[in-house]
Amino acid sequence: MRTQYRTFTLPEDLCAAAEKRLTGQFENLEALLSFLLQEIAKDEAGKLDLAEEQIIEQRLRDLGYI
Amino acid sequence: MKKRSLVLVTVDCLRADHVGFLGYSRPVTPALDALAENSIVFSNAIVAGAPTYFSFPAIMASRYPLALGRDVLGIAPHELTLATSLRGAGYTTAAFLAGNPYLSTRSGYDQGFATFRDFLESSYASELPLGLQAAKPLSNLNRRIAAESRRTDLTAATYDELYFWYCQWRSRRENLSMDELRRYPAADVLVNHAHSWLSSLGGEPFFLWLHLMDPHHPYYPPSEALSSLGLSRTTPLRARFLNSFWNRFDIGARRLQRYRDEILSLYDAGIYWADRQISRLVQVLQQLQRWDETVFVATADHGEEFLEHGNRYHSPTSLPEQLIHVPLLLRSPELSGRHLSGGPFSLIHLAPTLLDAVGVEAPDRFQGRSYWREISAGNLPSEPAIVECVGACDNPFQPADRMRPRLMAIRDAVYKLVVNFNGDFMGTTDSFFDLKNDPGEHSPLPDGVMPDERARLLQVARAHLQATQHNRNIELRLLAHLREIQQSSAK
Repeated sequence: MRTQYRTFTLPEDLCAAAEKRLTGQFENLEALLSFLLQEIAKDEAGKLDLAEEQIIEQRLRDLGYI
Repeated sequence: MKKRSLVLVTVDCLRADHVGFLGYSRPVTPALDALAENSIVFSNAIVAGAPTYFSFPAIMASRYPLALGRDVLGIAPHELTLATSLRGAGYTTAAFLAGNPYLSTRSGYDQGFATFRDFLESSYASELPLGLQAAKPLSNLNRRIAAESRRTDLTAATYDELYFWYCQWRSRRENLSMDELRRYPAADVLVNHAHSWLSSLGGEPFFLWLHLMDPHHPYYPPSEALSSLGLSRTTPLRARFLNSFWNRFDIGARRLQRYRDEILSLYDAGIYWADRQISRLVQVLQQLQRWDETVFVATADHGEEFLEHGNRYHSPTSLPEQLIHVPLLLRSPELSGRHLSGGPFSLIHLAPTLLDAVGVEAPDRFQGRSYWREISAGNLPSEPAIVECVGACDNPFQPADRMRPRLMAIRDAVYKLVVNFNGDFMGTTDSFFDLKNDPGEHSPLPDGVMPDERARLLQVARAHLQATQHNRNIELRLLAHLREIQQSSAK
């Protein structure tokens, strides 16, 4: 499957400042931005929270309270 | 009007039923008991998480431990805390923490402190997960024998028994003192540092946080503390044996029970030493003429278990009262002493209440609220306390260990519901207690008993989980993740 890409415009000074701080941690700015967006998108912890809320709701349903 | 200063003393592992002012019969806390006479004493202070790494986000940042996502450990970069608020209001700030690796710069606890000493750089050994503490370097031959012994339960048990006693025999050859055996700086070291720091101040308002580890395992209190409690017959060698035996995970509770009283004595001696040094700290504040302007708070991050429910130490495998009920006393110059027996009072509310007590505005982001007005009037409204952690998470530095199911307790003045979400999310195992009639939590109420009360607490749990998802601070979460990446790439 072909991946499609989007192009963004970001302030040069912001990009330069971020690159300066990232030495050794991310290959480049694209890698950092991809990481941040992936973190927002996947949110494994959030999925666990949601599953646990559903368990509580089921308990309340079993007791006849919802 | 001159700003009030604030001293917060947190004692690791100090459970509520081991302080005199909450009814303990052994005289291990004479200084705190005397202080309690002129303080607000909270009879039902409940932590928001346990152990340390799940408790302190609430104490320091008024934030539930899993609110940023259970994969976030400690205080997030730029997260607003008690310390950042006070520093922002012009306070001089310092923290002296007795070598707990979870309360370090790595986890963001230095934020807001102009002076921060966590004593992790010293010769004191790091707090390791229990399994690692028990591990000793094995010779190749011994390693082979150990591996062979695992073929049957009988040979494994025989090997474990023989190896334990072999280690005891070896340790007899080392004549180590209590001070050499202890893993953390004792409270006197911390108070000495605090004394120097306080002496260096001018008249500016200050915030001082001390975290004492004396009651934390392995239990090696100063010999002086043992003598003061009439326990001078407990030699360092005996203490070493007791700690080693107590740390065995290859034997059952019945055998461990045999040494429980002696272990409790060592634990109590640690409390006694912390208490004695707190007394010294108060004297220092009085000598420096800062006492009359200082709000002084003493509490704990969690308690400790001694087989009451089959467990030792403070692993978050369940949330019994021994683990979540902690002492809390608050001394403020203008308030006379009283016991607030209502509640519970969740430590999620501590930071905003303390900020209110010294006249500094609390950040909007705090999840708790100030109870200062109610406390000043001698009231403590009853509101269920929520305790949450990741079940069985004993090594939070391992990200996978933090991604397990939640363990949660909802406790009001009478009832307590512990919700244990199991691993595959196919159901729950709840334990529901009537604490008034069963304070020891020995007999969970059967399903179908008190359904209204059970449902009421479940509704609190549900609202909490919904709020956790809807109010999550994505920015802080990302900053915490970036910090973790930076730390792992720096290794």
